[in-house]
Amino acid sequence: MSALSSQVLEEIKELPAKYPQPRSAVMPALDLAQEELGHLTPEAMSEVAVALQLDPGYVEGVATFYSLFHLEPTGKHRFYVCTNLSCMLRGANEIVAHVKQSIGVTHAEQVSADGLFSYEEVECLGACEFAPMMRLDHKYHYDLTTERVDQLITERRAPTPLTPTLSPGGERERKPRAPRKKKADG
Amino acid sequence: MAERRGSFGDQPQHLLYESKAGGYTALRKALFDMKPVDLTNEVKTSGLRGRGGAGFATGVKWSFINRDAPGPKYVVVNADESEPGTAKDRYILENSPHMVVEGILIAAYAVGANQAWVYIRGEYDEPSRMLTEAIDEARAKGYIGPQPMGKDYPLDIRLYRGHGAYICGEETALLESLEGKRAQPRSRPPFPAVKGAWGRPTLLNNVETLATVPWIINNGGAAYAKLGTDKSPGTRLLTVSGNVRKPGVYEVEIGQTFRHVIMELAGGPPEGRKVKVFWPGGSSAPVLPESMLDVTTDAEALAAARSMAGSGGVIVMDDTHCVVRAAHRLLKFYAYESCGKCTPCRVGGDWAVRTYERILANQGSQVELDTLQRVSDGLQNGRCLCGLGDSAGWVIDSTLRHFREEYEDHALRHECNVGAVPANA
Repeated sequence: MSALSSQVLEEIKELPAKYPQPRSAVMPALDLAQEELGHLTPEAMSEVAVALQLDPGYVEGVATFYSLFHLEPTGKHRFYVCTNLSCMLRGANEIVAHVKQSIGVTHAEQVSADGLFSYEEVECLGACEFAPMMRLDHKYHYDLTTERVDQLITERRAPTPLTPTLSPGGERERKPRAPRKKKADG
Repeated sequence: MAERRGSFGDQPQHLLYESKAGGYTALRKALFDMKPVDLTNEVKTSGLRGRGGAGFATGVKWSFINRDAPGPKYVVVNADESEPGTAKDRYILENSPHMVVEGILIAAYAVGANQAWVYIRGEYDEPSRMLTEAIDEARAKGYIGPQPMGKDYPLDIRLYRGHGAYICGEETALLESLEGKRAQPRSRPPFPAVKGAWGRPTLLNNVETLATVPWIINNGGAAYAKLGTDKSPGTRLLTVSGNVRKPGVYEVEIGQTFRHVIMELAGGPPEGRKVKVFWPGGSSAPVLPESMLDVTTDAEALAAARSMAGSGGVIVMDDTHCVVRAAHRLLKFYAYESCGKCTPCRVGGDWAVRTYERILANQGSQVELDTLQRVSDGLQNGRCLCGLGDSAGWVIDSTLRHFREEYEDHALRHECNVGAVPANA
């Protein structure tokens, strides 16, 4: 039983032909794998390597280099809170503290008990005029306050999501899905 | 239309021009009324300098590509905006993506490329969507394709998504990443103009740089050169962030003072506070204290002030914040983002962070201050393949130079005489 579905493996095998050289397919392929599994397991990376005819160590080397590839499980919704200077000067550290407390975790690798949330402090996301800000579910959220963070969390805890998951740039779906439209969560 | 904050072409300058799908008058002119070499010369005449950070003359860069060399050539667009304090490429992509598309097509035609790749940072979901829509629109209108506007010269644009690495803003690291590798800068020569993406001649330009090109082709390089200063012509987008009342992306004619940008356009610091220090061109540009607010925004004036124009990210910090903590935060950034290829940067960044930690834990002494200066010196002056190490060194060096007393308060007297102490900083 392979980690990745045969559908995803087929998609991955079609990627190399889309680039001047096949190696460029490695990151888009890891994207597909991460989208399906939520994070990159060693098995998944090996299967990507086999599908692309690359060395598994090489693929893992690429995956570990880039911060948007996750090698550990993440929450269904991951807060990417910018704490670089422009956001720090406008209260980003308080936002991080509030996120941690609200979702009940103590560090970035931890997933909340209900599996819904995890967080990460990230470097500048390029929306400094809206500081403090963060990325959540493929969307930027601006002018953060602790109240706004509470609201975002409440919406995502609601049994019936207030934001339909099929909205453009919406949440990552883990169940088997129709042909792909969205990119993997970052 | 995406949310925007700041000014966008509310002065009669180049970015006022928003080419909608259906416009593309500059592309038409480029394809039918001008020769490729004329395009390059027009951009040379404009004096346009790269808006990504290095400020290299754009037309000169275009002329490095041998248009007649056989085989494929590429235009690669650097949309990996990640210099702390810089948001202008996101702003352009969200609000006027067609300007970028048109600029890319003109650049490709000028240098003899048929294929352009936009390397866009992975976190930019909305800008990617806006740019993709613009490309699709341009394709539907027949501006992109095997015969754009009927001209027998195929043009195509594709996106490649980054995955979170500051170093990809460095052009050769970006190329490595585009080729499916860990993003570590290349040794030069060969330069990308000779051997770039997939080993082929490649032109790399920043989003804002290319967005400026349609105006130059429509109005002429000489008209553009009249804006701004003699050596830094034109306008540029400054991202003003931090402790100001009206943070935003502002278009300014180059040569205005930072006092105008920070105190007037961005409304100055909050009530009852004073500007203490500002980063004039992203976190990598050496800091300037409040007393230097009258320095102008052109590269020459900034060089004379021992800083640089960089990416145009103006970060303002007021007198309730501590310079040592701010420098510590930035050094953590540079240490984390070091790709690990060159020893001074790989080791120096972490060394500096540990030294800052000792100082901020009130365990500092003269030894720590000397260490910071030594690490700063070791990071600078071309000891590494790219500028990341230098940038880290400049943060230490410039904050030490202008705020020695604050460092000494922390390291020697174990006290912070600044009001606000941010949590977890």
